[in-house]
Amino acid sequence: MKDGVSRTGLRITTILVSMVVGVVAVILCCCIILFLNRYRSAMVQSARTSTAQAVSQVSNTVGSYLQGMNQAMSMVEWSLLESDEDRDRMLTAFLIFRPDVVAVTGYSHSGELMDCWCLDREPRENIYRNLSFDLERARSTGSSYMTAPHVESIFEGYYPWVVTMTAPLEQGNSMAWVSLDLSFSSISSYINNVSIGQRGYCFLMDGEGGIVYHPQQQLLYAGLKTENSAALAALEDGSYADDTVIYAVTSVPDSDWRVVGVSYVDELVNRNVSDMIRLTILLGAAVLLAALLTSWLLSRLLAQPLRALAEAMGSFERDADHFTYRPVGGTREVQELSGSFRHMVLRIQQLMSTVREEEINLRKTELKALQAQINPHFLYNTLDSIAWMCEQGRNADAVKMVHALARLFRISISKGHELIPISKEIQHAESYLQIQKYRYKNQFTYEFDVDPACLDYYCNKITLQPIIENAINHGLDLLVEEGRITVQVRQDGEDIVFTVRDNGVGMSRELIESILEQGPKDRTGIGIRNVNDRLQIYFGKQYGLHITSEPDVGTCVEIRMPKIQEGEYEDK
Amino acid sequence: MRINRVSALLAALLFTLLLGGCSSSGEYSRQHTVALVAKSTQTEFWLSVFAGAEAAAAEYNMKLSIIGPETEEDYETQNLMVAQAVEDGAEAIVFSAIDYENNASAIDQAAKAGVKIVAIDSGVASQMVCTYIGTDNYAAGEMAAQAALDRVEGKLKVGVVNYDISSANGQQRQQGALDVLEESGRAEIVSVINTLADAEPARDDTVEMLNLFPEINVLLAFNEPTSVGAAQAVEELGLSDTVFLVGFDSNVETVDGLQEGSVDALIVQNPYAMGYLGVESAYRLLTGQDAGMERVVDTSTQTVDRDNLFTMDSQKVLFAFNSG
Repeated sequence: MKDGVSRTGLRITTILVSMVVGVVAVILCCCIILFLNRYRSAMVQSARTSTAQAVSQVSNTVGSYLQGMNQAMSMVEWSLLESDEDRDRMLTAFLIFRPDVVAVTGYSHSGELMDCWCLDREPRENIYRNLSFDLERARSTGSSYMTAPHVESIFEGYYPWVVTMTAPLEQGNSMAWVSLDLSFSSISSYINNVSIGQRGYCFLMDGEGGIVYHPQQQLLYAGLKTENSAALAALEDGSYADDTVIYAVTSVPDSDWRVVGVSYVDELVNRNVSDMIRLTILLGAAVLLAALLTSWLLSRLLAQPLRALAEAMGSFERDADHFTYRPVGGTREVQELSGSFRHMVLRIQQLMSTVREEEINLRKTELKALQAQINPHFLYNTLDSIAWMCEQGRNADAVKMVHALARLFRISISKGHELIPISKEIQHAESYLQIQKYRYKNQFTYEFDVDPACLDYYCNKITLQPIIENAINHGLDLLVEEGRITVQVRQDGEDIVFTVRDNGVGMSRELIESILEQGPKDRTGIGIRNVNDRLQIYFGKQYGLHITSEPDVGTCVEIRMPKIQEGEYEDK
Repeated sequence: MRINRVSALLAALLFTLLLGGCSSSGEYSRQHTVALVAKSTQTEFWLSVFAGAEAAAAEYNMKLSIIGPETEEDYETQNLMVAQAVEDGAEAIVFSAIDYENNASAIDQAAKAGVKIVAIDSGVASQMVCTYIGTDNYAAGEMAAQAALDRVEGKLKVGVVNYDISSANGQQRQQGALDVLEESGRAEIVSVINTLADAEPARDDTVEMLNLFPEINVLLAFNEPTSVGAAQAVEELGLSDTVFLVGFDSNVETVDGLQEGSVDALIVQNPYAMGYLGVESAYRLLTGQDAGMERVVDTSTQTVDRDNLFTMDSQKVLFAFNSG
């Protein structure tokens, strides 16, 4: 993030969820399509089967009805052989028991109506046309036959629709043919009650496709509905399905009648299929949802700890010092990663503190080495000055110099402590200034302005001396008029600020930078840079030196360090 | 933040699924209520209309109530029945007007109440009628006149037995017949009577007319009861051979008359289709399937005389199929 690497990879969640859901969706789609295909064909098959079953039932019933009628016909034939009285009684009884027989009629060889038996009704005297008997057909058929539906036309004011069953009588009878006019009451009860689905139905047709009985016969007669029975008549027995309708055709046994069952694909198949489609889509959606949820949860399970780990690494990256490791839970792999990360963190932090300690130690060693280096040079000059004072008989001055020198060295050593009270540091600086003042033959004056409250705080030893040395060497040495050095110590909030100000020639920006950069090679000894480094190593980057200089006006060096009580930082 | 977004998405998905499930399962068609207000509930013609209406109601799963006044002149009762039907919650009314003018306001009011109006058999002077289903009455009248012209030679002295003068269909039939007769140039309208649509008064009025104008050799009767009455009159006066009677519609008596000679031709309408199509149209209007519905639907009309009386086609139109 920090180094601006663009992250193009996808998240685990995205990948996992889309993969799982995608695979599940594809599988589901295949399954649903396959299943619905099979289901539809099974439904069509079952619709055909149920239609065929309904039709075969109807054909059996109609068959047995016709068989019953044939038996009735035999009985009628047999009764015609009886005497007139017996015959009338038997036929009347027959008509009572078979209410669907409208009339029994007998015909002569020339086709004339000879006798008619009907409950409560007598035929017309002049029959305009008798639809129940067709002489030509009776002659040409030679055996019993059924007519197409027609209106009973031999009565006055009574015109029911009937089919007529005509049978030839045996020789020796006065009549040649006998006919039974059958109303549709029985047949309708067989056929009307058949339901195939809600709208499916059966109808009865003859061999040529003429409708014998249809549950909606009047609709057909009124021209409101048509039935393509001629085409169906050409078909073999069996079931036939097209896009919208399923037909089942079965012949009625011992008859040329055929039963046709009509059922609707839309109702029997499509409705079920669309129900099933709805159900499977719902189910599919539920499965998809479940897949979505599980994969999402799973990816969360995987990704969440990884993300937590990544965040921990990020915060470690930003601030390694103050990072505290917290274990990240999750799967074992993540825990292993987290464990490794912990090892790494600890190791890096350890290394960092080691490096820091080593650096401090290096500075200390450096300081000590430099102290050891400057002392002889400074000592030689100072002792030279003292000797010269003694030669001149300025014993009092010589004594002062020797005292100052002694104090300087004592404070420099300070029993090996790095931190000393500020009062001691002031004495150290003052001793140094005293000595230098003698050496420079009072070319400058100096002044201390110290806040007494600061005196008990501690500071690094030999902090002021290098600054003062620099002020004398670079600022006052070249000055013609009298130089002046002011050392000020002030509190500034939680900090203590030392200020060393001179009225020397000042320093250029380049010189300031080179002073701060100067290594310990400089022969002047402990460089300003060393002071700055020590302060920053001890107290942090916000502390240290701040130099401001103006040519021909002077230089001001500000040293900032925290207030330190005795004992603090000593262990560093 | 992220989790919230995902869970919101999931919730939305679930919601739409549930919604889809509900809307698909909550679709049940309500049973519609239809009232058929007829001119009469007695004649075979109307019974056949009712049979057709009931067949359609059964087929389309509708609640059908059938009402009609005692006599075919009582338009006031019809108006009350229309109002009552609206009050009883009929959503559509299949209506045959006794009085072209005087039934109009009742129908307008019903239509204003949101009821769909289907006219059958006889029209009404209302703009609110969605469709008319019935015989082309003018053409039927022409057929009746043509039947007489085709079968009677020489001069035609025509007597017309019509019913209520305010009934639209009767007047249209009469107009069609008179126009054809006039055009033929060999017909003379001797008398036109408007009798009650009931066999007995029709018979009496016809007898009176025949007695008054013995020269009449062609009688035209324009609906079922007047045809029955006219047939009875012809039979009663023994004029079967001399008077050529053209009747309307199928009745057992007129069919008998056709065989015996008192009736010579029948113009047979298709009442079953009127009833069936009337209710079917009501269903289509109520279920919004009325796009492309025709304003006028002509049900078939057929001429039956003695020669074609028992052909299959004539049987089909003359005799109602009754499986019971």
